[in-house]
Amino acid sequence: MTSRIQIVAILGSVIFLLLVLELVRRRRLAEEYSALWIVAALMLLVASIRRDLIDRTAAWLGIYYGPAVLLLGLVVAVSAVLLWMSVVLSRQQSQIDHLIEESAILSAELREQRQSGADYVGAGPKRPRA
Amino acid sequence: MRRTLTLIPAHNEAANLPAVVAEIRERRPDLDILVVDDGSTDDTSQVLDRLGVRWLGWPQRRGVGCAVRAGLRYGARLGFDVIVRLDADGQHDAGAISRLLARLHEDDVDAVMGSRYADSYPGPAMVKRALASVVSMASRRRVTDATSGFWALGPRAVALLAAHHPRGYPEPELHLLLSRNGLRVAEVPVRSRARLSGRSTLTLLRLLAAGARVLLAVVIVPLRERVEP
Repeated sequence: MTSRIQIVAILGSVIFLLLVLELVRRRRLAEEYSALWIVAALMLLVASIRRDLIDRTAAWLGIYYGPAVLLLGLVVAVSAVLLWMSVVLSRQQSQIDHLIEESAILSAELREQRQSGADYVGAGPKRPRA
Repeated sequence: MRRTLTLIPAHNEAANLPAVVAEIRERRPDLDILVVDDGSTDDTSQVLDRLGVRWLGWPQRRGVGCAVRAGLRYGARLGFDVIVRLDADGQHDAGAISRLLARLHEDDVDAVMGSRYADSYPGPAMVKRALASVVSMASRRRVTDATSGFWALGPRAVALLAAHHPRGYPEPELHLLLSRNGLRVAEVPVRSRARLSGRSTLTLLRLLAAGARVLLAVVIVPLRERVEP
């Protein structure tokens, strides 16, 4: 028999999944970052439909109180997402650093070119200044 | 003939830069000078225009490591083989540049560091000595001054650091990076002076963050893959 909480959980999971898909559709969430959220929403949906899976997992892990498995899963998932976000942030910081430095170097080269006029040979990895 | 660039990272050093540049020009008129303005909020940009040096910069502060890396990248792109890095506060004696370059040109090393503490540690030395010991142990080379910002970098070091110079408060990590990638480093004793004017930007909080970062680098950098310069 389906309990009220199960219906709420299934509805919540479906809404969460639709929200993620809508964010991707509107290009508010990039495809590469959506995978994790889609997987999380699907797992929530499966856990809502098949509640016995939670009890079985709890028994397998030796956890007496079944719902604690949900909390454990939540903590692990949130930690994984945070770590992943830190990796993404680090990568983006590195890209921003690179762009700022490239922009500064190009500005300097342009300024020097303007100052030197036609005498300036230019700059680049394969054409050092004479 | 090697082309040499003098690289000066600067943050709010408008008061000191004219004297620093003048001293370099007096001692080594043959060297090109590049100042990297790391988001200064004082009159640095106007001073740089007046000084007639090469310069590059950006609007917000990003740290000395980023400033040095950008300068190295600029130098490498313009075909400079050797880059001398010194501070903008006037604490480094430009007269010592020739000694650093002479040692670098002996060709058995890739980088030469000007050490302020080659002979002895002035004042309360415990932190400096401990840091130098840790960096020496991790880099498997005797380092007497782990925080010196006075370097002469040869072509291999320039190529490596233009891409991989550490960010933040980079000097101790620099030793580890050079050592990890098999670059040879020598030390030359140099005289250190008090900064000409203004105050150091190093606060207690930054010092603690830098210490934590150094500890992490001591563990991580030797485990990283080697990079071909």
